[in-house]
Amino acid sequence: MSDSQIIVQADKTVVKITGLNIKGLNTTQLEDILTEKLVSMVRIIGVTGTSIEMDIYGLDDPCIIKDEIGIIKAVSLAEGITASEVAQISFAQKIIEIDYKNIPPKLDNACMKERWL
Amino acid sequence: MIENALIIPTGDEIKEGIVQDTDSPMIMQQLINLNPRCQVVRSIPINDDENAILDAIISNIESNLDIIILIGGSGGGHRYSSTLGKDFTHSALETILEQKYVGEIYGKNGHLWCKLLCGKKDSTLIINVPGPFKESKAAMEAFVLAYQKSPNNLKSINEAMIASVIQQYPVGIVK
Repeated sequence: MSDSQIIVQADKTVVKITGLNIKGLNTTQLEDILTEKLVSMVRIIGVTGTSIEMDIYGLDDPCIIKDEIGIIKAVSLAEGITASEVAQISFAQKIIEIDYKNIPPKLDNACMKERWL
Repeated sequence: MIENALIIPTGDEIKEGIVQDTDSPMIMQQLINLNPRCQVVRSIPINDDENAILDAIISNIESNLDIIILIGGSGGGHRYSSTLGKDFTHSALETILEQKYVGEIYGKNGHLWCKLLCGKKDSTLIINVPGPFKESKAAMEAFVLAYQKSPNNLKSINEAMIASVIQQYPVGIVK
């Protein structure tokens, strides 16, 4: 049981870029590069050896997709990232809002994979 | 006073060197600022796996540590995105901490943004911080201030850390 539960509202779009080669990435540097380019706050939320996933605040998905080439060029400026010829925005979707009353209760007795939320 | 500290980074991307671990040096600096005589050890990064996290805590709990700080694994992935992994640091801490205070931040899309715990196992204080550097730094700064005011007040430490994380985002609080 949580002692405090806070629900926040944000205008953000989840974006995934694939086709990258990543090793030794400084995520803060990448966030700063993208924030400067997009003039919007960016948070890197997932990284693999070939992809990054991020939250972009205050920009809708059509604006982001329209600037795909510019965003990939900006990403490739970060230390530790090389964009391949097939680099692309493979996913861009504004977050779906739900009624906070629908946030499911925690499953205390569930297995590890079910208990994460 | 914190004299012996252990930092445990979590996450495959940290362990494999895909992402630089910039959080651990920052946390080390904060702990040294809090007490210049503090001995700080950074462990080998561990996978984001509940059992691995529990093993890491249990194997270190009897080492006369004043604090264990876990980095990363504080979110829940996107509820509507199958591509993001689920995090297990907070769920591991839920199961092992005896006295604890828990704070959760949810987005309006229903996913768990951040869950921070502050608790004790035996006499060791255990906290977790988010992985993203700016949130991690804010949470640690809040921890240091709250700890200096009242080192045994788990509630005030946890609330200060949660509030500091929220302040890093352009969000409105719904509830």
